[in-house]
Amino acid sequence: MKRIEAIIQPFKLEAVKEALKAIGVDGMTITEVRGHGRQKGHTEVYRGMEYQVDLLPKVKLEMVVADQRQEEVVRALVASARTGRIGDGKIFVYDVEDAIRIRNDDRGDAAL
Amino acid sequence: MSEAVIVPPPPPETVHRILTARTADVDRRVLEAFVRALQQRMRSGLALAAVGGYGRKELFPQADVDLLLLTAVDAAPPREAIADFLQSLWDAGLRPSHSVHSVNECSTEHSDNAELTISLLDRRFLAGDAAVFESLEEKFNIFLAKRGAAVAQQLAGLAEGRRAKFQNTIYHLEPNIKDAPGGLRDLQTTRWLLQIEPQEGIPALDAALAFLGGVRIRLHELTGRDQNVLSFETQDALAENPAALMREYYRHARIVDRAVRQAIEVITERPGTLLGRFHEWRARLSTSEFTVSREKVLLRAPRPPEDLSLYEFVARHQLRLAPDTLQRMRGIAPKANWADWKRLLSLPRPAAGLRAMQETGALAEALPEWANIECLVVRDFYHRYTVDEHTLVAIGALEQISDGRFSELMGEIEDPALVRFALILHDIGKGSGRDHSEAAVEVAHQVMDRLGAPVADRTTVEFLIQRHLDLSGVMSSRDLHDGATARALAERIGTIERLKLLTVLTYADISAVNPQAMTPWRLEQLWRVYLLAHQELTKELETERIHSPAGVPAEHATFLEGLPMRYLRTHTAAEIDGHFALSRQLESRAVAIEIQHERSIYRLTLLAKDRPALFASVAGAIASFGLNIVKAEAFANAQGIVVDTFTFSDPHRTLDLNPTEVDRLRGVVRKVLEGKQEADKLLRGRPKPLLPAKARLKPRVAVKNDISEAATLVEIVAEDRPGLLYDLARAISESGCNIEVVLIDTEAHRALDVFYVTYQGHKLETPVEEQLKAGLLAACLAPH
Repeated sequence: MKRIEAIIQPFKLEAVKEALKAIGVDGMTITEVRGHGRQKGHTEVYRGMEYQVDLLPKVKLEMVVADQRQEEVVRALVASARTGRIGDGKIFVYDVEDAIRIRNDDRGDAAL
Repeated sequence: MSEAVIVPPPPPETVHRILTARTADVDRRVLEAFVRALQQRMRSGLALAAVGGYGRKELFPQADVDLLLLTAVDAAPPREAIADFLQSLWDAGLRPSHSVHSVNECSTEHSDNAELTISLLDRRFLAGDAAVFESLEEKFNIFLAKRGAAVAQQLAGLAEGRRAKFQNTIYHLEPNIKDAPGGLRDLQTTRWLLQIEPQEGIPALDAALAFLGGVRIRLHELTGRDQNVLSFETQDALAENPAALMREYYRHARIVDRAVRQAIEVITERPGTLLGRFHEWRARLSTSEFTVSREKVLLRAPRPPEDLSLYEFVARHQLRLAPDTLQRMRGIAPKANWADWKRLLSLPRPAAGLRAMQETGALAEALPEWANIECLVVRDFYHRYTVDEHTLVAIGALEQISDGRFSELMGEIEDPALVRFALILHDIGKGSGRDHSEAAVEVAHQVMDRLGAPVADRTTVEFLIQRHLDLSGVMSSRDLHDGATARALAERIGTIERLKLLTVLTYADISAVNPQAMTPWRLEQLWRVYLLAHQELTKELETERIHSPAGVPAEHATFLEGLPMRYLRTHTAAEIDGHFALSRQLESRAVAIEIQHERSIYRLTLLAKDRPALFASVAGAIASFGLNIVKAEAFANAQGIVVDTFTFSDPHRTLDLNPTEVDRLRGVVRKVLEGKQEADKLLRGRPKPLLPAKARLKPRVAVKNDISEAATLVEIVAEDRPGLLYDLARAISESGCNIEVVLIDTEAHRALDVFYVTYQGHKLETPVEEQLKAGLLAACLAPH
């Protein structure tokens, strides 16, 4: 099993959710997060005052999928979240040892 | 819980019977268990008492059965015997909650266990050694007689802590009917406080007890647990018409809430305490109409006021209405026109006044449309409060903005009453079954028509209501890096002034959804949207020009050609006609001037062929009369005709008291523009303005070359002072630059100035830019 974590632009959330739904990924955790990537934010000027915007609002999605679905899900994420500009975000894939459904002890892929 | 059959709560008149029957049934089982497990092992020195809700014979189906094992001395009965006793109660399906205490422990003060003392207020003898219980009875009564006041304080403290967890409001969409404000715990707190010390004038609570009790009985039956949250799901299971059930709930909760607050206030505001003395001090606020006693307002006149004066008084001094005042104001429809509303809503903190109006019912009397949203439950995943409460919380949110950027923005708003009035009505269309913004605009239109609001105010309020969800929409679903997003926003919003109003309205609306709704994430995102639109609107001042305007006479079109779009957005058709008429005067003279007087403000409009230092000269001429410029705009059309507007106040009442000075001002402006007089010389005779020893605001000057194709943007923020605009404009002229577009605003002693300038017809090169920046900073700091 893989845990896929995607940091995306907030306005792309609906499109990404639609794309995941279309390939049958229903379960996910969504968090509003703030952070920056390589650009380390940028400087903005408001009425003569320069200030550093180092934490930009982003949305984080997390989901755990069966190994064989990893590529498909990543492709769907990339395709739906991309604008081609700086700040589109990143996807991280982690190995997951096990998953347990608390209600009935289902394990592994069955618990997803 | 998924049954489709709706079972309503038992009828109110049966609730008391159901609870006593349940108590009697449990009494029987507890007695059996006591006799079997404990009585044989401890024939004397031990009594069993019922306490808490069980003690007062109000035992709910799934509530804990509170038992006290009372001993004569500090000797506990054998552990195994107690275990046996409790085990048999568990086996009988009850949920016992027990404690073991001696008579002495029970009749002393426990600062860390106030609950014990409080539970004893409802003690009831069940079984065992009656002499032990009688000794408690005697000692506890003596204790209460001595320390009753302290116990009452503890009770009040517990209640206040609990109520704060629910944001001190009864208007939760899914209320906890036991613990939330206005719930059963508040009701019982009131009864306890009255038991310790009787008070006059507390509303009767029997009907509320019967209603809330019935709902709680039904909730316990439905869930099989001590579950007291009246969730959306259980609302559906209890009533055919959940909305009606909830309105009844809020009606009862409101009575309980008022009762408990009243009872607590008497306890906590005793004169003699330091707080009490401070509150007495506030009695100095009393006027010929109102008396202030302990933070509460009483009416002096035999007839209650029929306008908003009472509510203004409350808001001005952040007070509350005394119970007697509430009673007397109920049902009185205040006579209030638009000016009255604006006076109330222009106060720094009007939310307290609106709260008082809600309490007396004056809000719904003055604005009958308010009844549409009173106690209205609209179910969604995020909102925590009823629509009316959400609205009042939103208006309150504007009074406690903790983020510096947004509080600064709030301070820059010229007429906050408009945002507040828009907030009052922004959700009034909810429950109409249509798009709620559209519905609210229609209601707002009728309301403001009735109140006699001027067109400009109406347009702004309707705009704010219509667009109240726009910024939230952009925050979550638009690409902020896409230039089209900024342009679309600017197009819909139109002016920087409206953008500021809409931004603080959105701030308030989001903050009032629930206490956690305004996360740092949303705050940052809203600020980014504001910045984006602000930058775009500033840019468009210079770049968006009127071109071949449709639907106007040909000669108007020539006049309008090349003026910024802002000109059309900020002027009414009548004003444009007036300007056009002025432009006709230019055929025979160099300058056309008009001065208007509106309440405390004067406006000078001038049209002229552009010439060097024109703007600076006029600013100087106005300043030389001791007048204070608060707003200014300077535009030019394609033919090089300048349209300048200066809005100024008259702090020394020069023009007010000497009507001929208006003519002299017109003459001086004309002479300055014709080059017959120098602004500098005019100002030389005037006393220099006193500058504060330390400028409160460090001046900021930003020069941007990448905004417009044709001109350089100069933005200045500085502490305002008389003559500042003249000094700035002169610094620009002296560096050889020409002023193309000007937008000046002053709020809260802060000048917010935007200039678009050119140098010999082009954008500024670096050396000129540096020189200009230095000149402007110097002008901000020191008058010439």
